[in-house]
Formats: sequence, structure tokens, C-alpha cells
Amino acid sequence: MNEKEFASRLKPFLDRAADQVGEVQATKLRSARLRALDAYREPVRLFGLVPVAAGTAHTIHYGVVQRALLWLPIAALLATLAIQSMNDVDDLGDLDAQLLTQELPPDAFIDQDFRSWLGKSHS
Amino acid sequence: MARQIAQLIALVAAVLAIGSAVARDRGDLKTPQTPWHQVPREQQRALQPVAPEWDRMPGYQQQRLMGAARKYPEMQPIQKERFEARLKDWAAMSPDQRRAARETFQGLRKLPPEKQHELRERWIQQHGGEDVGAPRSRGPSTPDYSRAPPR
Repeated sequence: MNEKEFASRLKPFLDRAADQVGEVQATKLRSARLRALDAYREPVRLFGLVPVAAGTAHTIHYGVVQRALLWLPIAALLATLAIQSMNDVDDLGDLDAQLLTQELPPDAFIDQDFRSWLGKSHS
Repeated sequence: MARQIAQLIALVAAVLAIGSAVARDRGDLKTPQTPWHQVPREQQRALQPVAPEWDRMPGYQQQRLMGAARKYPEMQPIQKERFEARLKDWAAMSPDQRRAARETFQGLRKLPPEKQHELRERWIQQHGGEDVGAPRSRGPSTPDYSRAPPR
């Protein structure tokens, strides 16, 4: 039995039961429905990747490992910045070494003519 | 909560990025000097041309020269010759001149090899085929170490 067949079989029972619902109960049901509609939110995407129902996203309880994973991007970022700052002097040293040992003297690179030729070559 | 954490991560990333840039510039000024006798012997050999001025150089410049000198043992003989010949002039440049030279050099490296060759040849021809390895008179003969650093 598929969903539609099930619904059509169930409907008469629900209709009959609905007729028997008193006014107080009907009002309660109506207000409960409105509250449910108010609380409804479009699903959100966790970190823009995984779709999660909005309610779930607000009430979800993260385990220790999950919490650690959530902080992983910050830890990775901090590590990258630390490594980058350590390599900074080495990179500059490498660049300076290359600049000092290639064919042209450093003077050439502050020469206005050379800089203007270079600018034209790039454009 | 997930959205709040994502926002927090973005905020921390932005703060760290700005902070590291500021810290790097401040770090330049705070880099401690390295006395000549503490420079490794192999680097001392490479840095010999600037030895008389070494102790008057700011820490950040000493560190960068030491960084360049670390490559010295791997250099070809002609590169070593150029390094030694140009080092004194390089150290005598102002921080702004060195930064400009690095930028231009990096710009040159982005060009295709044949274009790089063409520009080099053009500059050498214009400067009368003089010995491009030898130091040339330009700018201050005595380095101005009082100027502001960055890069």
C-alpha cells in the first residue's frame, strides 16, 4: 500500500473523528497548528554544505569530537599563519639571494627606464 | 549554533589576517639585532662585504641578509661572485629602494623567459655593456639605517 492509498483509507476515519472534536479542542488544535507554522523555518545549510532543518540546527547537541571538529578550521588557520610567519624571513632571504645573484644588478630594478619597460611588457 | 560558529570562524579569520599583517610590520621594528660574532661562520663568509656595517644595521635587515646568506653554499661560483660584489650596495639601499627592487624583480619573473631576456639585454645595452656584476655608484654610499623599515 502506497502513501496515497493509505491516506485515502485513513481520511474517512479522520473526518469522522474531526466531527467529534469539541470546540475547545478544535481551538487548541488550531492554535497549535499556528504555533507550528510560526516555528517553521527554511532548512539551513551547515557551513554551507549539509542541509539541516532549522530547528535541528538550533537544538542540536554536539559531542566532544564534533565540537573539536567545529574548531578545526580555526586551529588550521592559526597553524597556517604561524608557519607562514616562520617562513617569511626565509622566503625574503631566498628572494633577496635570487635578486642578488641573477644577471642584472639590483640597480636595474630601481631604474625608472627598466620599470617603465616592465610595466609596458605587462600591459 | 552552527551558524554562529561559522560566523565566529569568519570573524576570527578576518581578525587574524589583519593582526598578522600589523604584527609583521611591528615585528620588523622589534626584531633584535644579531651581533656579528653570533652569525654562523658560513654566513659570516658570505656577509663579509657588509661586516663593517653589520652592528649598525637594524635587526630586521640583519635577519634578511642572513636569510640570503643561507643560500650562499648552494650558489654557483658566478652567483657567489655576484652576491659578494653586490651585497654592499644592496645593504646601502634604503628600505623603500629594496622593496621597489623586489617588486620589480618579481614582476620580471612573471614575464615569459624570452621577454625577460629581451628586457635584460635592453638594459645591459643601454648601460654600455658595463660589468653588471660590479657595484656601481648609486644612492647613499653610507646606509641610512635610521629610516623606517618595512620589507
